[in-house]
Amino acid sequence: MKAISQSRRIFRTAFQNIFRNVWLCIATVMVLSLALASVNLLVGLNVLMRNAAKTVEDKVDVTVFFKKDANSALVTQAKFFIEGLPQVKQADLLSSDEALKVFRARHANDPGILAALDELDDNPLGATLRIKARKTADYPFIMETLKNPQFADSIESKTYDDHADTIANVQRVASNTQNFGSILIAVFALIGILIVYNTVRVAIYTQREEIGIMRLVGASSFFVRAPFVIQGVLLAIISLLITGVMVWYGAKWADQSLLNLYNGADPGLRSFFSSNAALLILIEGGSLALLVGATSWLAAGKYLKK
Amino acid sequence: MIKLRNVSKIYHPNVQSLADVSLDINQGEFVSIVGTSGAGKTTLAKLLIAEERPSRGSIEIGGWDITRIRQREVPFLRRQIGTVFQDFKLLPKKTVYENVAFALEVAGEPNRRIRDIVPQVLKIVGLDEKLRRYPKQLSGGEQQRVVIARSLVHRPKVILADEPTGNLDTMNTRDIIDLLLKINAFGTTVVLVTHNRDVVNELRKRVITLSDGRVTSDHIKGKYLIV
Repeated sequence: MKAISQSRRIFRTAFQNIFRNVWLCIATVMVLSLALASVNLLVGLNVLMRNAAKTVEDKVDVTVFFKKDANSALVTQAKFFIEGLPQVKQADLLSSDEALKVFRARHANDPGILAALDELDDNPLGATLRIKARKTADYPFIMETLKNPQFADSIESKTYDDHADTIANVQRVASNTQNFGSILIAVFALIGILIVYNTVRVAIYTQREEIGIMRLVGASSFFVRAPFVIQGVLLAIISLLITGVMVWYGAKWADQSLLNLYNGADPGLRSFFSSNAALLILIEGGSLALLVGATSWLAAGKYLKK
Repeated sequence: MIKLRNVSKIYHPNVQSLADVSLDINQGEFVSIVGTSGAGKTTLAKLLIAEERPSRGSIEIGGWDITRIRQREVPFLRRQIGTVFQDFKLLPKKTVYENVAFALEVAGEPNRRIRDIVPQVLKIVGLDEKLRRYPKQLSGGEQQRVVIARSLVHRPKVILADEPTGNLDTMNTRDIIDLLLKINAFGTTVVLVTHNRDVVNELRKRVITLSDGRVTSDHIKGKYLIV
């Protein structure tokens, strides 16, 4: 019974501390929110870079143009062979007629090319095989496979050579983004911890006289410290909520703003934050609450000596 | 009630604040401790509430040897000694009622008891009409009365008042001393640390004079003898 009533008093004191030091608490919440937001900003940037790399990766494919006179059975066999490779995600075969239709559609606004096509009696295009690998690193292997003498003589050209540099760049950017982003997030998290630690210490420093008075009238160390810890944890929760709202709307805005940059594909910020919300709240909220709680406990303890 | 035996206090590196002080204060006494600045009065007060530990000697309060009192026992000691200071030491963000109630809350007293006792003690000090006010809305004398009310809620055996009238005018000084006398009349031991000559001389109670950390005089019906 006594424990319940003491707990109630500790919580009441914590809430009173918040309401009676409202400006100090607002300042603390702002600093905590900014520290959390900066970490989330970097997490978001990391996601954007990763998704950008993925978008480019998705756009990369290899197109094999068969000779006009290539045997259609051989072309179909080539398609099935390529499709059977574990490295290949998708292989689409266009007949020469379909290839012509696609070509016309792509150049619909170029009357010169269309007129030149009309001048020709025959369809100049052969069958086309579009290959998409599971990973960009698989393209060189697929290209080597296409050198198989069974098909090589029927192939007019391949577009991979045009994409080789892009593919290498995308691979490098994706890998660098992952590494650099992780380091940057760790650095920001560390700076955030230092800022939060000092903010809480300053907040308690301003109440050092009150701590001394509480001790003077016979408050135990626990009774003095506990409201500060609860107050800190409550402020951490408020900061987490504010940051959550900021991140959600920030991600929504960024997704819409970046739509063109991603050629209409979803930049994926909102979907990342919503699908990882529980984990992020657990990690960020847990760390912040632990940090603020422990700092409050230690900082209040400093003024308990007397 | 209070026993000091050969108590010395040396601050780092080599500042002797109290030197070989021995004295007894009996239950129900009203004792004034006087002396010039630096005589050791405040150090003595700090030793009595375990804010400091003696370098040598022993201190006993109500049969409890607090010479080497452990940190976690300090709150229990402070609930037995009411303290009144020159700078009031009230919680500025709590009302008069809350300041007084807080001393009971920290001791885990039930709410019903708190609701009974707090208005009673505030009535004793004459502040039962101002219990919803904050300290800054009160005069110096009223703030000191809140402090006295707070020190009374545990029904302490000893009230330690360190320069309680230092920040007050003559009228308020008179009120506070009268209040302390009233409390003493109920049987509570009062230790008044002061350098207010008029107060000490009017009291005609026991006076212990400290000089350079030593007890230089101790008179049952003493006077302020320092020039």
